[in-house]
Amino acid sequence: MKLERKPKLLPFPRIRLSFKLRSIQTMITVSFTLMAILVVVAVSFMLYNKFAKTAEENAYLNIQQIIEQVNYHLELYVKGMQDIYEVVEDQIHETPDISSAVLRERLTTLLRTREDLVSVGLFTPEGTLVLDVPDLDMRRNTLLETQSWFESARARPRELSFSAPHIQNLYKGQYIWVVSLSRMMKYRENGKTKEGILLVDVNFRTIDELSRKVSLGKRGYAYIIDDLGNMVYHPQQQLIYAGLKYENLEPVFEYAYGSYMDKSTGESRYITVRTVEPIRWKIVGVAYPDEIVTTKRDLNQFVFWFLLVVCAAVVVLAVVVSAKISQPLRRLEKSVKSVGQGDFSTPIHVSGAYEVVQLSKRFNFMLHRIRQLMDQIIHEQEAKRKSELDVLQSQINPHFLYNTLNSVIRLAERGKKEEIIATITSLSKFFRISLSKGKNIITVEEELEHVRHYLIIQKIRFKNKFDFSIECEEEALSCLTLKLILQPIAENAIVHGIEKMQDEGVIRIAAFVKDERLTIRVSDNGLGMTRKVMDQILTGGVRSGGSGVGVKNVNERIRLYYGKSYGLSFESELEEGTTVTITLPKEKTEEIRRERGIL
Amino acid sequence: MSKCLKEMRIGLALLLGLTVLPSCGGEAPDLHVLDKPKNVDMIVKRDHGDFWNTVKMGAEVAAKEYNVKITFKAPPSENDIDEQIRLVDESIQHQADAIILSATDYMKLAQVTDRAAYYKIPVISMDSEVASARVKSFVGTNNYEAGQKAAERLVELIGENGRIGVMNFVKGAKNADEREEGFMDYAARFPGIEVVDIQYCESDERLARRLTREMIRKHPDLNGIVALNEIASIGTAEEIQRLGYGEKVKIITFDSPAKVMELLQEGIVQGTVIQNPFNNGYLAVQLAVQALEGIEVPERVDTRSKLIDLDNMLWPENQKLLFPFVK
Repeated sequence: MKLERKPKLLPFPRIRLSFKLRSIQTMITVSFTLMAILVVVAVSFMLYNKFAKTAEENAYLNIQQIIEQVNYHLELYVKGMQDIYEVVEDQIHETPDISSAVLRERLTTLLRTREDLVSVGLFTPEGTLVLDVPDLDMRRNTLLETQSWFESARARPRELSFSAPHIQNLYKGQYIWVVSLSRMMKYRENGKTKEGILLVDVNFRTIDELSRKVSLGKRGYAYIIDDLGNMVYHPQQQLIYAGLKYENLEPVFEYAYGSYMDKSTGESRYITVRTVEPIRWKIVGVAYPDEIVTTKRDLNQFVFWFLLVVCAAVVVLAVVVSAKISQPLRRLEKSVKSVGQGDFSTPIHVSGAYEVVQLSKRFNFMLHRIRQLMDQIIHEQEAKRKSELDVLQSQINPHFLYNTLNSVIRLAERGKKEEIIATITSLSKFFRISLSKGKNIITVEEELEHVRHYLIIQKIRFKNKFDFSIECEEEALSCLTLKLILQPIAENAIVHGIEKMQDEGVIRIAAFVKDERLTIRVSDNGLGMTRKVMDQILTGGVRSGGSGVGVKNVNERIRLYYGKSYGLSFESELEEGTTVTITLPKEKTEEIRRERGIL
Repeated sequence: MSKCLKEMRIGLALLLGLTVLPSCGGEAPDLHVLDKPKNVDMIVKRDHGDFWNTVKMGAEVAAKEYNVKITFKAPPSENDIDEQIRLVDESIQHQADAIILSATDYMKLAQVTDRAAYYKIPVISMDSEVASARVKSFVGTNNYEAGQKAAERLVELIGENGRIGVMNFVKGAKNADEREEGFMDYAARFPGIEVVDIQYCESDERLARRLTREMIRKHPDLNGIVALNEIASIGTAEEIQRLGYGEKVKIITFDSPAKVMELLQEGIVQGTVIQNPFNNGYLAVQLAVQALEGIEVPERVDTRSKLIDLDNMLWPENQKLLFPFVK
């Protein structure tokens, strides 16, 4: 009885998954998961947006800073070149004659100190070479009059002009990309002051390298245009000249300083424009937001995996928690099921959450109570069977039969024919009603008839030592009663009340219906009894002998059949007599009893 | 049970949908940009020289733009055909994602090209073609047209009667043959024009000088000479100047090494046909990426040739072509 089945219920952590839609496990798992996922998704969405935005802003800021820096370096460089140009100018100014060796010496030294200074040249406005440092042979076919530095120096004599980078084709031995600084100036030759164009060529390499190094993300780059829109530097210059690449220069001209998004090439590009002030070149940074999106994509991927991991964890957790909650419940359900199938002996294993424990305890308590009641029923059934056996026995009570026959013999000896007939007739009727075809329940009328015959027999046997009367209300006659309940009481009255009495005894039996109850009262005027005896009668201390069916038995039978509110009650006073009151429910037809399932 | 599973599936889909949602925010990247870097091998004819360095520069620009890891390979000399075949084989073995080939020999590189195609490696032919139908695309100058341009200018210079010598480089190289063919076809239109000699210098400057000397000795009345590639141009033009035949023998060259430009300014060389090696390199890589991405590529991409003379050499766009490197 004590937990024999426990081995069957494997202890935790065996998780049995239950996918019944409305099971607690499913509901908890689903709601828990959905809730957690919703929260996590919402939070990561917000964080993602915040991060992505910050990342984007930072990226753009970074790009602007890079371009700003390039711009700064270029400005410095250009200013340096302007300074050098002015130094060269001053040197020429200071020299009384252009052909002086001192000047050449000084300029050569200056050229040596600045690595990216390619050459210094002075030309007449007609394009004839006056002075060149280093001293190199001029090439033929230089077309210098058509070159931009020459033209702009002639067009704007006072203004220092910066040319776009070009090939320096003036001197033999080299083709170098240079930026030319040029301006008209006065110089002295042979004592005469003349006008000339001073050309200082600066190697383009520094600017080229500076620009080439600009890397805005993986694919981003920077390019430079001059104020006329000529490409100064572009990493894909040749593609642009070949028409394979295109830079949308129009908006660039609108900006001196700023950033915007350009979509002219089909792909959105983040353009940052800065202007190198002294020469009005524009540095244009081109960055691909795609790459910033790459950072976003990384972030995305991270968020995605994070979500996946969290969700997996939540699902596992939800399954475990819900299993932990629902498993004891399902165990309980199983136990209840086995109880439902009739197994009352196995108590429920008490474990799990507090509520489940309480429920299990209550259930165990209920089980215990049911078991108790069942035991009681079994006990009562047994008692009933026993009393029925008693009744069965009393139906053919040999002792009573022997006594009666004895008295018949005595009557016969004395030749009392009338009385013999009366005795035998009553005996026969007595037994007929006793047996009453095996029925347990008979009408009051029959029961009264039964006791009447008994009293007749006894009256004859006791030689009219007592008299009796039976009264019955009309309504009570048809009521139903357990059979053989009056005879033991009557016997009791005769044996204990009247037999030892000197005077004539009287037994009165009255049946009536009162307050929906059937009451049968048996009273005698015999010896009566003490309270002690009275108490003992119902607890089984006194055995009446005689017919064998004791008064206690009668009381028990009534209570078994009709319940504890019915039964016998005694009133007695010594020397005055005893009254036994039988209380029964008022029942009329057999159907009622059928309904109750008593029969 | 199945209902439950279905619900779970819907839930999962919902969950995935929610998580994927933010990733849809970005703009679809340009199709050409590779997510993962791919290995592209560029096998050219010679491992030095301005022409190939410019090709390389263009290729590098494209490689940066399209996220490609590019490997340059070349035999030490242009007539080392076996070495180039070996290099292609090596690339096949190393499982390059794509090969860009400038074939030193039209026929002899065909087999190895087919082999690369067999191993599902797309081959882009650059600068000079190879006799394989499995090549995805050819990018380069229309050499026949370039040859015609050279002939047209030379005829302009010497008039419709004259004797012309041709200094070609490698016989069997497709671009050499095409230039020669273009030149010859144009020259053939003029009955007074006679092509008296065709020599192959194997892209060897010394050999070119020697062959020029011999040509001048054999044909002292030569009116014009055309040199069909960079090396041939340097050798021929310098030798003509050295021999004192400058300006007397008109010279049209190919490509723009500094030496040739110098001679152009000196008036020894009257014009030079230039290609666009930077664009060749750039476009070859671009096409390789397109082929890798499964985008259809055009069969031929013509990166135009240009005749440069004293008048147009200083045009900004020509300067960049003539002198691709900032030194």
